[in-house]
Amino acid sequence: MTHPSTDLTDGIRVRGLTKTYAGGDPHRPALESIDLDIGRRRFVSLIGPSGCGKSTLLRVIAGLEDHDAGEVSLFGSTPRALCSAKAIGLVPQAPALLPWRNVRRNITLPRSVNRRAGTGGEDPDDLLRAVGLGDVAHRYPHQLSGGQQQRVAIARAFGMRPELLLMDEPFSALDEFTREALRLQLLVLWQRRATTVVFVTHSVREAVTLSDEVVVMSARPGRVHEVLPIDLPRPRDASVVTGPRMHALEDRVRASLQSAWEAGAAPDDLVPL
Amino acid sequence: MTAKAPVRSAPAPRRTTPAPRRRRSTRRGPLHPATWAPTTVLVLVLGLIWSAIATEHPYILPELSEVGLALVDRPEVFLTNAWTTLSIALAGVACGAGTAFVLALVMSEVPVVRRALMPLAVVLNVTPVVALAPGLVLAFGFGMTPKVVVTAIITFFPVLINVTTGLRAVPPSVLHVFETLHASRAEVLWRARILYGLPYTFAALRVVMPLSIVGAVVAEFVAAGSTGGLGTMIRNAASTARLESVYAAIACLAAMGVLMLALVTAVERRVLFWHESQRRAST
Ligand SMILES: Nc1ncnc2c1ncn2[C@@H]1O[C@H](COP(=O)(O)OP(=O)(O)OP(=O)(O)O)[C@@H](O)[C@H]1O
Ligand SMILES: [Mg+2]
Repeated sequence: MTHPSTDLTDGIRVRGLTKTYAGGDPHRPALESIDLDIGRRRFVSLIGPSGCGKSTLLRVIAGLEDHDAGEVSLFGSTPRALCSAKAIGLVPQAPALLPWRNVRRNITLPRSVNRRAGTGGEDPDDLLRAVGLGDVAHRYPHQLSGGQQQRVAIARAFGMRPELLLMDEPFSALDEFTREALRLQLLVLWQRRATTVVFVTHSVREAVTLSDEVVVMSARPGRVHEVLPIDLPRPRDASVVTGPRMHALEDRVRASLQSAWEAGAAPDDLVPL
Repeated sequence: MTAKAPVRSAPAPRRTTPAPRRRRSTRRGPLHPATWAPTTVLVLVLGLIWSAIATEHPYILPELSEVGLALVDRPEVFLTNAWTTLSIALAGVACGAGTAFVLALVMSEVPVVRRALMPLAVVLNVTPVVALAPGLVLAFGFGMTPKVVVTAIITFFPVLINVTTGLRAVPPSVLHVFETLHASRAEVLWRARILYGLPYTFAALRVVMPLSIVGAVVAEFVAAGSTGGLGTMIRNAASTARLESVYAAIACLAAMGVLMLALVTAVERRVLFWHESQRRAST
């Protein structure tokens, strides 16, 4: 993998980002002084205790949410500019498919809105085959399993060949084995299309398997606790994923997560042991 | 709505007791006696009570046979009058529900319009239409116009409220996807809001279609001197104590209401095949 370039216009640059929700405690912002650099074509995971602001950070990067202070620069331009070029693919935690459109027409949704920014993109049938859904192209979302729905959402996000892909716990509702399979599928897709990915997860194993870097966050206020490089070789096939190096890295991330949890204030509603 | 479906498969609980006997399926075809027998029995009982009263007090209820004869004797009279009332009801729904739908769209896009219109719509809704009708007849004459206006006013509010709610029933995650694609407001409205609002719109139509008949009949009652319609017929027959005609007209009105409801439900089933409310019906 290429090293993250120091060129300011090449990659994601977050500086001094602070965000307090309306009605939130101003002394404990949802995000406080976040500094983050993500190189182009890197796969970066955000991990951290619940409520540390992972989803909030993702939404701010996507330009879906205002912030109080600091700046976000995506490849030298603003989130808004990137959205209007349809260069951001979003996979929300819920699949967010349109229930009246079949699978194929859900995947082609991005090309049918905001047509000024282009109507090209990947061939939907290729994409469907790539996520193993070629034979359900004409089914409707309610006829799919949760895992299939997530794959449709992922295929939709890849459809416009986005420069940046933002994924918020896309596999959280799935069983361990389906997750594993979808991870590998996602890696194959990503490697071929080479886009920048910011991936929110609660699973240490998932973060290590997928990422070039793992950003560990701490809660209340939401801060970047530590950024851990994952120097595992790619492609991450079975031998890599089961190797001793993998386990060492998993332990490293888990330890960091533990100290992040202790650094952050406990949630107000957590009952002391 | 398309929220995370729990895919996690829990291990099957071990059964220590013998497997419970399979419950008989509660869903049966329309021809199964369990489907039609209870209603039929009830109708027969009510019919018997009706006949008993009718023979005792012919000025309270007419004999059912006479009602039937009235219908069979002059079917064309009932049909033309039913058509008059039906066309008023349908024109009223088209105007009232159509205006309400368009206004709901405008209100969802322009908050000032919502703040201006909502209080007025509420006031209009709580004003009894029966009280409004004589004034309208005075203003618009005895033609179709005042009756259509009365019907439109009755059907306006339920559609307005339901569509307004429906247009906001888009899951936030879907809105986020549209926003990252930089979709215009019109695109969000057209490709998400209206469609997510459809189940609400149909719910309103199911209420409003039968209500439109109420509106048409009330308008005919009030518009003295109007010449057609089942409402006029009921008023005239009642004033000359022809009870069997009154009840024959009422039967026609009930049949019209049932047909309208069936029509809306049939359309809804086709259009909303993707919605949870239709799931059980389709499988
Ligand atoms: N719309 C909102 N209004 C007010 N406060 C919010 C809102 N959304 C999130 N918060 C608060 O901001 C903080 C960060 O929330 P966020 O959803 O980003 O956490 P998260 O890291 O994604 O958590 P999880 O892992 O549970 O999804 C939380 O304390 C939450 O209560
Ligand atoms: Mg979250």
